[in-house]
Amino acid sequence: MHLMTLPRLHRAVLALAACALGLMFAPEAAAQPTLRLTIVPATITFAAADPDTTPSIAAPNVTVSYRVRNNVTGNWLISLLASGDLTAGAATIPITNVTWTASPTPPFQAGTLSRTLAQTLASGSGNVQNTTTGTVVFRLANSWTYNVGTYSTSVVFTLTAP
Amino acid sequence: MTDIRRLTLGFAAFALVATQGLGAATATGSLSATVTVSAMAKLTLSSATVTFPNADPDSSPSIAAAEGPVTITAKGKTSTGATISLTLVAADDLLSGSDRIPISNITWTASGAGFAAGTMSRAVAQTVASWTNSGNRTGTQSFALANSWSYAAGNYTTTAQYTLTAP
Repeated sequence: MHLMTLPRLHRAVLALAACALGLMFAPEAAAQPTLRLTIVPATITFAAADPDTTPSIAAPNVTVSYRVRNNVTGNWLISLLASGDLTAGAATIPITNVTWTASPTPPFQAGTLSRTLAQTLASGSGNVQNTTTGTVVFRLANSWTYNVGTYSTSVVFTLTAP
Repeated sequence: MTDIRRLTLGFAAFALVATQGLGAATATGSLSATVTVSAMAKLTLSSATVTFPNADPDSSPSIAAAEGPVTITAKGKTSTGATISLTLVAADDLLSGSDRIPISNITWTASGAGFAAGTMSRAVAQTVASWTNSGNRTGTQSFALANSWSYAAGNYTTTAQYTLTAP
């Protein structure tokens, strides 16, 4: 039977039923985590250095600010994934030569960048009601084998909650 | 038409809620990383002096340096595809007052990847080692003087300079 042929009362009842059905799922909408993630600064630079005197080049501190709400029972995770190796034209520096330390621990942890598998930077459970910050220091293993150039890549930070 | 809109809104609300109930919530941020690698060269010699002791030319036609092989560590950063080179040139012949032993009477053998044997010159820098792209090399250079009855008695000296170039 075409909808337009229904009596007005029946159509109204159907509309209300549909709305009620939607409201049945409303609690799930309220439970959907609300996440906020900010990375400052947006760019870091590893300065040129003598590998003998500076075997590990530290970049300026990166501040990670995050907030997790409506996540009463679930876990949350901040992960890092490089878009690729450090490249300068045809020259490359494997991204695995970049490691990081982070604080506070927990929830933050140290790790090694990867371009294939997201690496855990921080994790926890439940809510983080107030915006909270962590500090990440990236370090590049220096080497005489790196060819001259200006290399670059990008790293994506992802905050996830179920 | 009014009722149809209500019904449509009801289904739309349901669809929206159902979609939010599936999958995880995510928030992302991005960081750009830059590395500057500059040209650089570093050279280390195990000895700053080599000495050739007095010897009978018949029994010792070639006199090895008393210090033994000179160990050379050369490190350089250069552009992709460029050649790093280590050269050696003498300031002059071996001199003792007005007496002279041609510097070309000193030769060397070498060991280590990228290192090569050669003969000293005071006119043209001679290649001791070379390689392509950035990297470090370690090798040895063993000097020897061709002995001769024609050399006048005396203490002969000269200097030589190594140059490591990473273009």
